[in-house]
Amino acid sequence: MTVDAWIAEPVNWVFSIVAVVILFTAVRVVTSPNVVHAALYLVAALAGSAVMFLLLSAEFVALVLVLVYIGAVLVLFLFGIMITRAPTGFDEGLSNDRKLVSAAISLVLLGVLSWASLSAFGTDTVNTVGSPTATEILGDAILGRFVIPFEVVSFILLSALIGGITVARRDLTPLEEEERKAV
Amino acid sequence: MTFEIDYLALAPELVVAGTIIAALLLDLFLTRSKKYWVAVLSVVGVAGGLVPIVYMLAEGGTRSMFDGSYVVDEFALILKIVFLVSGYLVLLMSVSYIEADRYYQGEYYFLLLSSILGSLVMSSSRDLIVLFIGLELTTGPLFLLAGWRKGDAKSNEASLKFFILGVLSTAILLYGMSLLFGLTGSVEFTAIAAAIPDLVSEPALALSVLFLIVGFAFKASAVPFHFWAPDTYEGAPTPVAAYLSVNSKAAGFVAMLIVMYTALPGISEVWAPALWVLAALSMTVGNLSALRQGNIVRLLAYSSIAQAGFMLVPFAAAAVAGSDLAQAFSATVVYLVIYALMNLGAFAVVIAGARRTGSGDIDDWAGLGQKDPVLGLLTALFFLSLAGIPPLAGWYAKFVMFASVIEAGGISTLVLAAIAAVNSVIAFYYYARVIKAVWLDTPSEELLARPGREYAGSIKLTLAISMGLTIAIGIYPTFATYFGEASRVIATGGG
Amino acid sequence: MALVDYLPFVVMLVLAAGFVAVSLVASRFARPSNPTPEKLAPYECGITSEVEPTQRFPVKFYLVAMLFVIFDVEIVFLFAWASIFNELAWYGIAAAGIFTLFVLETLVYVWKRGALDWNVKTRSRYAREHFRIEEAA
Repeated sequence: MTVDAWIAEPVNWVFSIVAVVILFTAVRVVTSPNVVHAALYLVAALAGSAVMFLLLSAEFVALVLVLVYIGAVLVLFLFGIMITRAPTGFDEGLSNDRKLVSAAISLVLLGVLSWASLSAFGTDTVNTVGSPTATEILGDAILGRFVIPFEVVSFILLSALIGGITVARRDLTPLEEEERKAV
Repeated sequence: MTFEIDYLALAPELVVAGTIIAALLLDLFLTRSKKYWVAVLSVVGVAGGLVPIVYMLAEGGTRSMFDGSYVVDEFALILKIVFLVSGYLVLLMSVSYIEADRYYQGEYYFLLLSSILGSLVMSSSRDLIVLFIGLELTTGPLFLLAGWRKGDAKSNEASLKFFILGVLSTAILLYGMSLLFGLTGSVEFTAIAAAIPDLVSEPALALSVLFLIVGFAFKASAVPFHFWAPDTYEGAPTPVAAYLSVNSKAAGFVAMLIVMYTALPGISEVWAPALWVLAALSMTVGNLSALRQGNIVRLLAYSSIAQAGFMLVPFAAAAVAGSDLAQAFSATVVYLVIYALMNLGAFAVVIAGARRTGSGDIDDWAGLGQKDPVLGLLTALFFLSLAGIPPLAGWYAKFVMFASVIEAGGISTLVLAAIAAVNSVIAFYYYARVIKAVWLDTPSEELLARPGREYAGSIKLTLAISMGLTIAIGIYPTFATYFGEASRVIATGGG
Repeated sequence: MALVDYLPFVVMLVLAAGFVAVSLVASRFARPSNPTPEKLAPYECGITSEVEPTQRFPVKFYLVAMLFVIFDVEIVFLFAWASIFNELAWYGIAAAGIFTLFVLETLVYVWKRGALDWNVKTRSRYAREHFRIEEAA
C-alpha cells in the first residue's frame, strides 16, 4: 500500500489516533502512583479498545467492552479501592524494585508476539468497516451450536457470585455468636 | 439453526446440575441443625450421575452433538466416572470436616458440585470453547473454596495465590486458544488437526501451542508452574486440597492431553519436547522438595506434583519417540485412575490423622500406629501404594508407565525412563518416612493422653471405598486395564 | 454499517468534550478568584481527620456491585438472544429461560441470606427467627 492510499483511508487515521491513546493510557495504568487514577486510565484504555473492535467491524464485542468492562467491572474496581484500606491518594508502594525486570519481560513478550502475529496475519485483510459481524450470527452460534457452554456459563456466574458473597461477608465474632444463640 | 439434543448423553450433567440447584435452594430453607441434608443430597446426586454413565457404557457407541463439539464416547464416559467417583469421595470426606468448622456448609457443597459439573463438561469437549468453559467451571469455584477458612491467614494466602496465578494462566491459555483459532479458523479439534499441516512453519502456531501448554500445566501444577500448589494445599481446607490434587489436577491434565492428541498431533515436534521437560522437571523437583517437608499436606502436595510428572511420562515418551500415542494415552489414563483412588485415600487418612493427633506435622504423628492401629495400617497402605509397592494398586500404575516407555524406545525416552526410575526410589524414601513415624517412632505422651474419639461414618466410608479399590486393582489389575483399553478405543476414534 | 454511520457517536463525543471544556473555561472567567487556605481545605468546618479511616464503605455496597456485574454479563447474553428472538421462537425462550433462571437463583440466594437488607433491625429479627450464625452481611 502506498503512502497516499494509506492517507486516503479514514480508518487508518482513526486507528492511529486511537492506538496512541490506548498506548499512553495503558502505560499510565501501570505507572500511575495513584490507584484511582490508574482505574480511570483503564477506562480510557478500554474505551480505546472498544473503538478498535468497531474498526474491526466487531460491534458486539465493542458493546460488551463498554457495557461489561467500563460499565460494571470498573465500578467494581473502584468499589474495591473504596472498601479496602488502600490509600486513594499518592502511594509509594504501588511500584516495586522489580519494575525494570518486569518491563524488560513485557517488552520481550511484546516483540515475540508482534513478530509471530505479523508473520501469521500480516498479509490478511479482515472485513473492512461496512460489513460488521452481525449480532444475529453470534446469537445463532451462542444459542445453537454453543448452547451447552452457554448454559454452563450461568453456573460460572452463579458460583462466582455465591462464593464471592460468602467470602466477602463479615463473620460474626464468637461473642456475637453466643448472643445470637442466647436469643 | 437448532441442533438435536441427545438428553441421555447429557444425563450425567443434567443430574449434577439439578443437584446443584436443589442443594442451593435446600440450603436456604433449612435450619442450621438440619444442614446435613444438603450433604446427603449432594452425595446422592453425584452417585445418581453415575447411573446414566453405566447405562451408556453398557450400550456402547458414540454420541456426538453440536457438529461434533460435544462428544460422549467411552473415553469421555470413563473420565466422567473418574471425576464423579473422586468427587463423591471428596464430598464424603468433607462432611465431618465442614460440619466441625461450622462454615457455610450449603455454599461449600454448592461450589464443589459446580466444580464437578465443570469437569464433566470438560470430559466431553471436543472444541476449544466447550473445553475452556468446562475448565473454568472446574477451577473457578476452587479459588473461593481454597479460602474457605476466612479467619485463617494461611487460607487467605492459599486462595489469593491460587487466584492470581490461576487468572494469569487462564489469560495465557486464552491467548494461545485465540492464536490457534486465528490461524486455523476453527475451534473444533478435528478441524484444527486438519488445518495444522499447512501451518507447521508458522512461528505463531508454535507460540500458541506453548501458551496452551503453560496454561494447562498451571492447572495440572506441573513444574515449573507449580509454585502455588504447596501453599494452596496447605492453607485450603484438607478436603479441598484433596480435590485440588485429584480432580482439578486431572482436569487440567486431561484437557492438555485431549488438545495435544486430537487437535495438535501434526505439530508434536513442538509440544513433545516441552512435555518431556515438564515430566522430567515435575518428577525431580517434586520429589526432591517432598524430601524436606515436615507438614504432611505439603508432603502430599509435592508428591502430587511428582505424580503428575509420572503421569506425563508415557505420553511425553511416545510423542518424543514418535510411536503409537494411543497406547501412551491408555497408560496415562490407567495411571490417572489409580492415582485418584490412592491419593484420595491418603488425604482421607490425613484428615482422620489430623483429628486424632491435632496436628499436620509428621513429627507429631509419631506412634500413631500404637494409638490407633487401624489408622496406622491405612496410612501404611496408601503411602506404600503411592510409592508403588505390590500388591497395592500403585505398582500397576508404575508398571504400565514403564511398560509403555520401553515400548516407545529411543534414547531420549530411555533417559526419561531412567529419571522416572531414580525418582521412584526417592519417592519411596519420603513415603516410608511417614510410615516409619507412624509405626516405629515412640508416641508422645500428649498423643497417648488425647481422648480417642470415634470417627464420623462418612470418613470411614471414604477410607473403606478407596482402600477396597486400591487393594482390588493391585491384585486384579485387569479392572484398571479396562479403563485404559476403553480410553484407547476412543482416543483413536477421536484422532 | 460504514464508518460514516458512526458519525453521530463522534459528534456526541465532541459535544460532550466541548461542553466540559466550555463550561470550565467560562466559569474560570465568570467567577471571582479569591482563594484562602480555609476555602481550599476539603472540609470547611469540623475536625480534620488525621488518619484515613480503615474502611470507607461497608462491604454491602460491594455485594451490590457484584450483583450488578453478574446481571450485566447476563444481559449481554440476552442481547445476543434478542437479535434472533423470532427465528428461534420457543427453543430460544427455553434456552435463555433456563440460563436466566440459573442466574436468578443468585437473587433468591442473596435475598434469603439477608444481604439485601439494609436495615440492621430487620436483619437481627431475621437472625432470631432462623437461628443462623453465618448471616449478617
